[in-house]
Amino acid sequence: MTNTLIDGLKERVSNAITINQSVGVILPGNNYSDLIQALFEHIYSRPEDVWVYVTITRPYESIVKQFGDMSSRGNIKFIDCISRAAGLSKIDPNCIFIESPAHLEKIIMEILNIFRNIGDNVQRYLIIDSLSSLLIYNDAQLVTEFFTHLTNRTRLSDIHSVSIAIEEEMDDNINKIIYLRSDKIIKLRESFI
Amino acid sequence: MINDEFVSTGIDKLDRLLEGGILQGFTTLIFGSPGSSIEILSKQLSSTGSVLYFTTEETKDEVIKTMSRFGWNPENIDFVDIASKYSQTILNREKKRVSIYEQRSKLKIKELIELGSSGMAPSVRGEEDFLAILSNKMRLSSFEKTIINSLDFFLSRYSQEEVLRTLHAAKISNIEKKGVLFIIMTRGIHGDIFERRMEGIADCILELEVIQKGSTFERFLAVKKMRNYAKKIGIARYVIDSDGFVLEMIERIM
Amino acid sequence: MSEGMVISEERTTVENVVCKTGIDELDVQLEGGIPVGNTVLMVGSSGSGKTTLCMQFLANGAKQGERGVFFTITEPLFKLTKNMQGFDFYDKKLIESGMINLIDLRIISERLGLDAEKYTVEDASALLEVLKDIADELNVKRLVIDSITALCCRLQTKEMIRDFIFKLGSSLAAMNCTTFLTSEVPPNEVKYSQYDIEEFIADGIILLGDVDRSGDLIRTLQLIKMRGTAHSRIKSAMSISSKNGIELTPLLKSRA
Repeated sequence: MTNTLIDGLKERVSNAITINQSVGVILPGNNYSDLIQALFEHIYSRPEDVWVYVTITRPYESIVKQFGDMSSRGNIKFIDCISRAAGLSKIDPNCIFIESPAHLEKIIMEILNIFRNIGDNVQRYLIIDSLSSLLIYNDAQLVTEFFTHLTNRTRLSDIHSVSIAIEEEMDDNINKIIYLRSDKIIKLRESFI
Repeated sequence: MINDEFVSTGIDKLDRLLEGGILQGFTTLIFGSPGSSIEILSKQLSSTGSVLYFTTEETKDEVIKTMSRFGWNPENIDFVDIASKYSQTILNREKKRVSIYEQRSKLKIKELIELGSSGMAPSVRGEEDFLAILSNKMRLSSFEKTIINSLDFFLSRYSQEEVLRTLHAAKISNIEKKGVLFIIMTRGIHGDIFERRMEGIADCILELEVIQKGSTFERFLAVKKMRNYAKKIGIARYVIDSDGFVLEMIERIM
Repeated sequence: MSEGMVISEERTTVENVVCKTGIDELDVQLEGGIPVGNTVLMVGSSGSGKTTLCMQFLANGAKQGERGVFFTITEPLFKLTKNMQGFDFYDKKLIESGMINLIDLRIISERLGLDAEKYTVEDASALLEVLKDIADELNVKRLVIDSITALCCRLQTKEMIRDFIFKLGSSLAAMNCTTFLTSEVPPNEVKYSQYDIEEFIADGIILLGDVDRSGDLIRTLQLIKMRGTAHSRIKSAMSISSKNGIELTPLLKSRA
C-alpha cells in the first residue's frame, strides 16, 4: 500500500462528503482498512467538524489502538455496537456502548442524542461502519427500515452521513437501499486500486 | 398397680380401663363431641403429675377456676395460654379498627406527610405463630404430660398439612422425653381424611360419645386404639359428678 | 427562574389543558401531553420501567413548577431515592424543596392502625381519604401510586377490590391532578391489569413491555388509550439511560 493510494481515497471521500449530504461507500473487504485509514486522516484534518462514528465492524478499543485516543480532540464520539454483546466493553467517556447490534432503535436514539447536544452551528457528520455488518445481527428488512429511518432523521437535522457497506457482506436489499438513500455512491474496485 | 412405664391419667377408673394408665412416650388422641364435657376431662387429666397445658379456648384463669371447683390442684401445670394471646390480638385489631377514624381526626395531615416521607415502613408483624409456639415449647421443655386443648384452634388457623407436620415433631419429642401427649379435637368437623391421618399418628385413641336414649343422654368413653395392647380396647359409660369423671359399666371389647 | 419563564411562554397555547410528561417523544405521541386530570394506568411486568417513568413524569412536572407526590407501597423510600440518584433527571433539591414528595403508604397505614397485610373495605376507604387529604394539602398537580396491584392484593375478595378501585377512581376524578397508577402484570401477558377492572377507571393506558429480537429483549412502550387525545398507537422502542431517563423511538418492525 502506498500513501498515494490512501491520499487518493481520502480526496475522493473528502470531496464527496463535503458536497453531498449522504454518501454511500461500497467496497470490497480487501480495501476496508485503506478506506478507514483515509477516513480518519480526513477526520484529523478537519478539527472544526463534529463526527459521530458508529462501529459495528470492530470494537472501539481496536480503533483506539490503531488511530490513537481521540477523546482529547473533542470532535469525535463513538458508538460501539458490538463490544458489549461480546463482553468486551469498558466505560469510556468518548464512547457509548450499545448492548446489542440488534438494538437498532437504541443506535438511532444515541446518534440523535449526541447531535442534539452539539447544536447546529457546526458541520456534523455521521459514519456508519458498516451497514452491511448490521446484517450479521439483523434481518435485511429491519436494517433497511433502520437505514431509512436514520437517514430521514439526519437529513432533517442537516447531518451529513457516510455509510459504508462491504461487498462480501451485502445483500440485494442493502444494495438497493444504499443507492436509494445516498446522494452519492463511491464504489471502490480493486482494479481501481 | 401403677407400673413405672405407665403414666396415670389422673382418673382412677380410666387407669383401670387402661390397665395402669398410658405408656410413656405415647401420643393419645381424644375425640370429643358437643356435650361430652371433654373440657372437664382435659382438666382432670392435668390434675396429676407435671403438666404442660396448651389452652386455646379457655384462658388460664378459667381453667384454674374450673379445676379448683373440682378440687384439682393446678399448681403443677405450666400453662401456655394461647386463648389469652389470641383474644388479645383480636382485641388489639378491633381496637385499632375502631380507632382508625379517631386516629384520623387526631393526626394532622402535615404530620402524616412528614411521617410518610421519612423513615422506614414497619416490618410486617403478622399475628404470633401459634404452631411455632406449640412446637418450640414441646421441644424445649420436659413434662410428664402434655395436653393440647384443642387442636381445633390450630386447624382453624393453619393448613392441615402444617398442623400434621407440627404434630409429628411433637410426637417425636414426646417419645424422646418419655412423656405422654394428649391431643384433643372435635370429631366430624375436619374431614374424614384428616381424622384418619390423625388416628395414624396416635398410639392411643379415646373417644367421648353422647348418645340419646329416650329422653336422656348417655355418655360413653371408648378406648378405640392402644398400640401393642389390643386387650385394653374397651368402652365405659360415664357421668360427671363433683369429683369429675366417673366411669361405670366397663366393657372389654376384646 | 429563567427556566420557568421559557416554559410558561411555550405553554400559553395549551395552558391547563395538557400535562406534559416531559418525555418528548411521548408528548408528541400524546399530541402535547396528557389531558389534565386524567388517570393513567401504567402497565408492565416488574422491571419494565414503570417506576422510572413515573418518577421522570414527576421530576419533569416539578421542574415546571408542578408539585407532585409519589405514593409507594412496594419499595421503601430509601431504595426509591437510591435508584433515582442514578438518573440525571433526578435532583435531590426537588425533594428537599417539597416539589416532589415521596410517601410510603405503609407508614401511613401503620400510623392509622391498619393491618399491614389485610385491608377491610373500611381500611381501604380510610386510606383513600388520607391519600386525598395529602394530595389536597400538598396541592399536587401530579400524583403517582406505585402500585395499584400491591394495594389491591391487601384486599381479600374480588368484590372488595372492585369496590376499592371504583372508589379510587371517583376520588381521583375529584382531585383534578394527573395521576399515574402502576399496574403489575406477569411478563408477556396480554392483559392490562391484574384484576381486570383497573382499566375501567383509567382514562389512559400505557403499556410497557418488550419484544424479542433475535434473542435480545427490546423495551417497548405503547399508548393503548388516552381519553381526550387523538394519540398515536404505534409501539415505540424504549430506552432507559441514566443520562436521559426514558427515551422513545419508533420500533422497527421485523417481519420475521
